[in-house]
Amino acid sequence: MDRLVILDGRVAPPGSAVSPSETPPLLHLLSGDRPLAFVVEGSLLFGLEPNAFASMQDNPAAQEELINSLRLRQRNSNLAAPVPLSAPNSISLNIAQSCNLSCSYCYADEGRFGGRASMMSLETAFAAIDRLFAEAAGQRVTVGFIGGEPFLNREVLHASVEHAVVRSRETGSTVGFSATTNGTLLTAFDLDLIRRHSFSVSVSLDGGANTNDRHRRSFNGKSGFQAAIRSLQPLLQNSGKARIAARCTITREDLRVLDRIDALADAGFSEIGVSPLRTSPEPGLAFRDDDWLIFLDEMVRAAECEKERLRSRLPLRFSNLAIALKQLHAGYNKPLPCGSAASYVSVSTRGEYFTCHRTIDNPGFNLGNAASGLSLEKREQFLRSRHVDRQEPCRSCWARYLCGGGCHAEVLAAGRSGCDYIRGWLEYCLRFYDQALSEFPSLFGEGEIAS
Amino acid sequence: MIPKIFPRNLTARAATLVAGNPVTTRLESGVGNCFPGLEFDHRNLDRRFFPGLIFEFTATGPRLVNVDSNDPELKGEPALKKTLSGKDGKSLAEGAWFIQQITQGGTSILMKQGGNDLDAMTSWRLVRCLQPGKVTIQLERRRVTAGENISQEPITLSANRRNYVDPQTGVISTAYAPGELTQSLCSPWMHDFRDCACFYWASNHPDIVLAQDPPGEPTLPSGAPEDPSLALTPIDWLRTDRSSTKPAGATEDENRPGQMDHYEINQRWQDLAIVLQGREISSVYQPRQPETANPLASPDALAARLSDLAKLEHAVALEYLYARYSLKDPASVASRDLKDALTFAQHEIFLVAVSEMRHLRWANQLIWSLEHAGLLTTKVGPSLGIADQIPVASDPSRPPQLPSIKGVETRPPQLRPLLPEVLQDFIAVEQPSGFLDGQYSEVLATLREPKYPPTLEQLAARIIADGMEHFSRFRQVQVVLTNRKPTDYLRSETFPLASAGDGDGDAALNTYNQILTELDEAYVSGDMEDASHIAVARALMFQLDSQARKLAARSLGVPFFPSVPLKKMKSPKKTTKKR
Repeated sequence: MDRLVILDGRVAPPGSAVSPSETPPLLHLLSGDRPLAFVVEGSLLFGLEPNAFASMQDNPAAQEELINSLRLRQRNSNLAAPVPLSAPNSISLNIAQSCNLSCSYCYADEGRFGGRASMMSLETAFAAIDRLFAEAAGQRVTVGFIGGEPFLNREVLHASVEHAVVRSRETGSTVGFSATTNGTLLTAFDLDLIRRHSFSVSVSLDGGANTNDRHRRSFNGKSGFQAAIRSLQPLLQNSGKARIAARCTITREDLRVLDRIDALADAGFSEIGVSPLRTSPEPGLAFRDDDWLIFLDEMVRAAECEKERLRSRLPLRFSNLAIALKQLHAGYNKPLPCGSAASYVSVSTRGEYFTCHRTIDNPGFNLGNAASGLSLEKREQFLRSRHVDRQEPCRSCWARYLCGGGCHAEVLAAGRSGCDYIRGWLEYCLRFYDQALSEFPSLFGEGEIAS
Repeated sequence: MIPKIFPRNLTARAATLVAGNPVTTRLESGVGNCFPGLEFDHRNLDRRFFPGLIFEFTATGPRLVNVDSNDPELKGEPALKKTLSGKDGKSLAEGAWFIQQITQGGTSILMKQGGNDLDAMTSWRLVRCLQPGKVTIQLERRRVTAGENISQEPITLSANRRNYVDPQTGVISTAYAPGELTQSLCSPWMHDFRDCACFYWASNHPDIVLAQDPPGEPTLPSGAPEDPSLALTPIDWLRTDRSSTKPAGATEDENRPGQMDHYEINQRWQDLAIVLQGREISSVYQPRQPETANPLASPDALAARLSDLAKLEHAVALEYLYARYSLKDPASVASRDLKDALTFAQHEIFLVAVSEMRHLRWANQLIWSLEHAGLLTTKVGPSLGIADQIPVASDPSRPPQLPSIKGVETRPPQLRPLLPEVLQDFIAVEQPSGFLDGQYSEVLATLREPKYPPTLEQLAARIIADGMEHFSRFRQVQVVLTNRKPTDYLRSETFPLASAGDGDGDAALNTYNQILTELDEAYVSGDMEDASHIAVARALMFQLDSQARKLAARSLGVPFFPSVPLKKMKSPKKTTKKR
């Protein structure tokens, strides 16, 4: 099998003088009681008999033999953006660049994104929604509401949902809705909308009251936790057709993971995910190099707890783990970390398009506006430049098609750190998955599987 | 050596070639056509185009055959799932429901057009054209048994068309049960060869055969019915009426009404006949006993016999060839029927003549092999002469028996047009268990002795087997020319030899002699491998053919050998030859 040698984004012919360290690994071996081999191309996971594993270690010939025995899809060696690039099927509307909280680490500068507080008008929202449906060509679409705090612009939110439903009926494209919210302002009216339209709601809470309120405070210093739980309570008790998940931001001040999960589970959440802080307006909060090892430990501890829950026939709560398992099972394999600029874009209050909700009003990430539409060229350019095989040190990392290179916004602002953590977490998840496939096959919709 | 590995996740499983499984078990290598395919019938995907429901594309439209509430696709269709587990679901579980209408992307298509239900192929193709995305179907209940109460209103359901494969991994939707995708494949050992529209399976089973011998009918020693029309009428192997001996029609449409249907084949498969050597057989098959002839005394005696037989083959080859050119050119007659008959007769006789030429070669090859093996005390050399006596049927009204007490009757070789009595003489020569057969049987018995190289007997066996074929062919020609006047199909009833000095005649004779020279060279050197002389001889044969045609156009034949003129023919000479 010819190896793809990539130099400065161009494909070098085989036989070019390239040092061995620059060639990306074909597979990654995981030792242990149940040794594994992870084939990078295609994200194929194999269990190995111990002596088979031993014979593969430090033996590139044996590794290559294994790979040659497989039927692999040819990767598109053209490092351009995923071709063909169709119109996005998912948008997020930044309907309120403003917030009622002032969380210390907020990427959006209290929702303002560095500008003045503003709200999206009905026209702007409708225009973006119309364009989404028009260009989606019958596919299923998603409309998300973000901010700041989207429920500050409740009127536009509700009206947009109704408008999208009408468009959905007209075009035959089914529509799903999502919202990212601090959960403190939800009214019964909002909860009804959320239930009726099967929203996927992501609630930003960092853990129990103390943990959460450390950084997530309202202007007057009141507890964000209480306010959120109070208004969310009815929804947590009865979510109807909606899906509610909590999302914790973890600062270096408190690297614990399990406690947060437990606390939020107690508060009524069935899905809890965590995200380490990499960039922050307030110094001293973002992770530093030596924090990652501890954090990995914490993540593993939380996951081990989930394993025990599975053994007691309890469902998974830790969504980082749940998503990883699902993706590993499917053989998730992408050269980008997310759908931004490809299947997903974000719209600012003024109707400008940006690669995602993190890059709102950042001129370098502008993709067009309501009037002119999305620029295909800009999207392609952006994606080409972000392709993981063009990134250093990503292009020689075995985990690059699982990781994707990291959040564009974070990496471009703060560079890449914690790659060892990512690899460590992925190795852990691979092992977890392998074990779970045998021990809890129904988790993956499977019956008993040999081995 | 590949270490023992266990694919874990979906993409690993898709990429793993399991040792022992042939490549044909993988989807991408499959023929996978819709005809209905040899590995995978695509049409079975479309039966579940709508989540939770399974349809069959019948002649009267897509019919609901099952509601599958365990369909994993229903997870993404909560509204539909609710409907199917409610009142509507219960209704659908009873009675016969058909799709009335399908809607997608603003377009609605009725499953009934112009008052008629769309047939299975059409409705299937419409479903196949559906895009991923929302589909709405309207189902109506139809009365299938008398007295059925079908007061229900049509039911309308909407859902996203199933994703047949996982968009990321290409794995087929887990809704399909094991065996579901291959349930409609060709089953050649059952009845599907009945309708294999690409004739893949049909190539392996008989369609037109000869009837077996009706019990009690007079038969020839070979077992074939004496009456040539009975022996040679092609009949339909799939006929429903097993006692029918009606000739098979020339087209599938003609034959179809009289053939077994699918279920008949499944139920009455034992009635289908075993066919051997082109003929149906329902009793225990008795292979023709190998001739219990006595071997010849010595290799030299064998070589002498082969030499004689070669001359005989040569003689009859020329007789057949001569007769062939006496037939009219099919292009020159108006009647379609006669045209076909002439084409057939010419072709068949020519085939037999060529076959005799092959025997001439094989006989010579056997001689050469014996010489080459050092088994002969006297050199024999190639045998390219012409026999001076040819066996004849002694009593045309009675099939010749062997051995004849009175000895074998013979006649000199004669170049004659294909008159009925001439054709009868040809048949007599090729008579199974006839004279020629008997001669070769002794050869065969001799060659089976250990001292002879092992492969030689096969040539002898081939020659004997060919005899039956020649016999059949001539009899078929006889059938085809029955009830016709010789003047209808012959250029002339006398068709004399071209006289000496005739330009065309001399040219043809010249070519013929050249052929013999080349063949002689070939047979001397054992020119079987290199065959350069044979190749030259063959090229000359083409030339001879066109020269013969040229003569034939003048109603003259090639003067291969001095032949006794027709009107001066004496009565057959009786000889007593020891066998």
